[in-house]
Amino acid sequence: MKPVLDAIVKVFSSLWLSVTLLVFLALLTWLGTLEQVHTGLYEVQRKYFDSLFLVHQAGSVPIPLPGARLVMIVLFVNLLLGGIVRLRKGWATAGVLVTHIGIVMLLVAGLVKAWYAVEGHVTLYEGEKANTFESYQRWEVAIAEDLGGGRVREFVAQEEAFQDATGAAPASFAPAALPFEVQLGRFQKNCRVLPNGPMFEAPTPVIDGAFLQPAPADTQVEQNVAGLYATLVEKQGGARHEGILWGREAQPWTVEVGGKRWAVELRRERHPMPFTIALGDFVKEDHPRIDMPKSFSSDVSVTEGASTRPVRISMNEPLRAGGLVVYQSSWGPADAPPGTPLFSTLAVVANPADQYPLYACIVIAIGLSMHFSRKLARHVRSEAKKS
Amino acid sequence: MKSILRIAALVLLVLGFAPASRAQDASGTQRAAPWSKEVVDLAARLPVQDGGRVKPLHTYASYLLLRLNHKRSVATPAGEKLGPVEWLLDVLYYPQAAEEYAAFMIDDVEAARAIGIVVDEKKKRDRYSFHELRPGVGKLFELANEYQKIEEKDRSTVQQQVFLLAMNVNDFMRVLTHMDLARTKIPIGAGAGLAQIFAGAEEAAFSQVLDRVPQLRDLQAKLGRDPANAAEAKEVGKVLHAAADLTSGTESLALLPATGTLAADPAWHTPADLMTLALRDGVVDAKHIQMLNAIEGMARSGADQTAFERELARFSGVVVPIAERRGEYAKVGLEVTYHRLDLLSYAQVGFILAFVLAAVLWLRPKSRVLFGLTTLAVLVPTVLVTIAIVIRCMIRDRPPVSTLYETLLFVTATGALTALIAEFFTKQKVALSAAAVLGMIGLFVANGYEMLDKRDTMPTLVAVLDTNFWLATHVTAITIGYSAGMVAALLASIYLITKAVGFRRAEPSFHHGLGRMVYGVLCFGLIFSTVGTILGGIWANESWGRFWGWDPKENGALLICLSQLVMLHARMGGLIREHGLCMAAAFGGTVIGFSWFGVNLLGVGLHSYGFTSGIHTALWSYYGVQWGIVALGGLTWMLERARANARREAASGAGLSAAQEPAS
Repeated sequence: MKPVLDAIVKVFSSLWLSVTLLVFLALLTWLGTLEQVHTGLYEVQRKYFDSLFLVHQAGSVPIPLPGARLVMIVLFVNLLLGGIVRLRKGWATAGVLVTHIGIVMLLVAGLVKAWYAVEGHVTLYEGEKANTFESYQRWEVAIAEDLGGGRVREFVAQEEAFQDATGAAPASFAPAALPFEVQLGRFQKNCRVLPNGPMFEAPTPVIDGAFLQPAPADTQVEQNVAGLYATLVEKQGGARHEGILWGREAQPWTVEVGGKRWAVELRRERHPMPFTIALGDFVKEDHPRIDMPKSFSSDVSVTEGASTRPVRISMNEPLRAGGLVVYQSSWGPADAPPGTPLFSTLAVVANPADQYPLYACIVIAIGLSMHFSRKLARHVRSEAKKS
Repeated sequence: MKSILRIAALVLLVLGFAPASRAQDASGTQRAAPWSKEVVDLAARLPVQDGGRVKPLHTYASYLLLRLNHKRSVATPAGEKLGPVEWLLDVLYYPQAAEEYAAFMIDDVEAARAIGIVVDEKKKRDRYSFHELRPGVGKLFELANEYQKIEEKDRSTVQQQVFLLAMNVNDFMRVLTHMDLARTKIPIGAGAGLAQIFAGAEEAAFSQVLDRVPQLRDLQAKLGRDPANAAEAKEVGKVLHAAADLTSGTESLALLPATGTLAADPAWHTPADLMTLALRDGVVDAKHIQMLNAIEGMARSGADQTAFERELARFSGVVVPIAERRGEYAKVGLEVTYHRLDLLSYAQVGFILAFVLAAVLWLRPKSRVLFGLTTLAVLVPTVLVTIAIVIRCMIRDRPPVSTLYETLLFVTATGALTALIAEFFTKQKVALSAAAVLGMIGLFVANGYEMLDKRDTMPTLVAVLDTNFWLATHVTAITIGYSAGMVAALLASIYLITKAVGFRRAEPSFHHGLGRMVYGVLCFGLIFSTVGTILGGIWANESWGRFWGWDPKENGALLICLSQLVMLHARMGGLIREHGLCMAAAFGGTVIGFSWFGVNLLGVGLHSYGFTSGIHTALWSYYGVQWGIVALGGLTWMLERARANARREAASGAGLSAAQEPAS
């Protein structure tokens, strides 16, 4: 057993594996960069960088390749075994060791972010406030129960619950507290709701004279508007209520079940914030006499519990609070004439590894400087001896 | 992009359909003598707000002329060569003469034909005067409006030429008509109120009318209350209309500083702005009236240059103190000096000389004098480029690199310096030659880039780049990484080429030394590329909330790091040796080219800074050359391997010990 283990360790710690993995990573980076022109960043990221395997189409020739996630996982193991554990320890390799530790920190930061980070945005007009932020690309189905007195209880099915139900077979969502089962099917990442004309055969079921027309995915993923067919099946009696949910619908679909009204909607995934953020003033300043933004900033008030404090969020100056980082991301409407109220979009990120890259960078810089300055010094000494 | 549609009215004005109010004073249509040095110096140092910043009129004129004429000078029909400031003064104050200057370069005569201009004696690529283009201006804007709807990458060459010509003609016409208001007297109609306001004068200068706009508005309001005064009210309206009409088309040249503080009132004014302020808010500033009065004085001075200089000095005497008080004039003089010193042109000449000397040095490698001269010839232009970069930093209050153009200057300076340091350690004269080549090519490309872009190389920055900390750390580190990678690629290319042609075959130490140099420079580059790339991620995390977004420019930086890591690990693992490392480093040059410029050509991503269209051919030429050198290196290696095998077989046949097989 030991020889097999030794052989595995030897393979996984070898320099040729490092080189192979680095070449693959470079190749994937290059292909993914070129592919962005055609399919957009989100699709490229999903296909090349967040995948274990992929098939790259070189014209009409399919080329199977390992995905960047797989390459980085193996590289991580390779780095740990070959670059740290099995590396000969001594002053000669101290710089290399430190550098490798820094790279490991960087990869750990990437892994932590990939697994635990949540990203989204809050878009507010002046005077508005929010205590949740919305995902850019993920969707959820929310079922709201009116509890009376302005109180609402929500049941939420996140995208994982229905993302694979793209055909006629629906996914089921049936919390015990609901008097019905929610069946979600024919999920489309990008679609439009169209009325069904008399001379037209709809590609999807027609409900109340309308149907979902699938559309090609937009290269800008946030431009996609999802849709699906929802069926509420009453737990008592089995009565069925069918409806279409579309991401840009102004009003939720309302259904009466068990003497109560229920509101069902498909919306961008929402995440709670541990504070409320209220936009007081949004300031966009252009360079004089040209249409180039010099700065834009949002004066917000952040309320946590009983305390409220004013904060200015601007480019390169985010707000860090409650484990979240809030950035000045964009504003709009882009072509608003002077005097039109503007909205401010603040990007919100919850990333436990937020500052890891900075620490990793410092470690790597120290490691590389140690290693190469030692090599330079040795070279200078040998040249001096020669002369 | 400027709206071509907006200029239709201006076209009509310039085409000779000017209203009566624009009837110009016919005196002084030709300049009697060349502009004096004093006038040119004074005008060059006038501040103007353009492109979001205050700059010298010299810079404004320089880039305007460069866009129109593809060079910074123009010849008059009489053969006088004019610099940008002299030309601009002529356009402003002697427009009829300036219309005759062949100041419009058209790269393809088909563009001229497309707008109906047929001049038999013109070459395929030739210069035209505005006078020659005038009959086709209507058609030019009609076509440009049409072509504006086509994406730039989909336009044909002629369509693009027509479009650019329309832009240039538009810019030119705006300057050409700017001083109409200074040349034109506004007739004052009959009426007791008007006579009282203008002290009985029959005509008034624009500045006089502007100064009296609040009174005229009051008078107009007062007269409007009684229908019996309708005739005089109409006369008042005519005066105001004539003054407002004179300011149309003056919106592009903001020579008049706001008199408030910079924070409260950052935008400078044009006469059109002043007229709007006066009509809308009833605000007229005495300083602005003084400025306009001086401008009118210059127009009135005709052929009398002494009078012109006096009025110009009067204008400067009002404008400059205001700009100084607002903190906007401190760098104007330095910027004029920067452009006039033209250090980069001298540096280019220096690098060419160094290249020639280096070539001779390869033929006479033992000559100490030649070595000393070559070193000096490399050192001097390197210092000149460094001084130019330092001056730019002082003018902009920025770290050395904040635009794509500045990366070229910085890579040239640091690349030459890196090669000189490598020469200091190795003393093989190869790095010295590489410094000369790199300097020469670097400045050639920088100059080509400026000629291609034809826009101010010290532009204002978008909001996200407005951070000296990250520009100083991330951008500088990344650019040093580019520089080191390019030096390594160049040295590796020299290695491969010299080996292929058998240069110094009898001295293996020559190529071993060169190989070590490539390795050393790669190591140096890796530190900066890696740290710079991670710093970029940290900046992105601070600005956009994500460390890494697989944006093309980020990917390009990562590719550089990965390629250098592959080279160094492959060498460490014995997968490649000296020759293989040099092949990889030569290929690495194309990775840097892709990261530096190639990704900008993709047209996607967040780092859409810098003008890059038009460099496609140059970039692919570089790729081709480097790949050719790598292929040559591969061929050399195979030949050496075959020779070694043959020697080994011969040796084993002869019972001798086997020759060592060369490794890659």
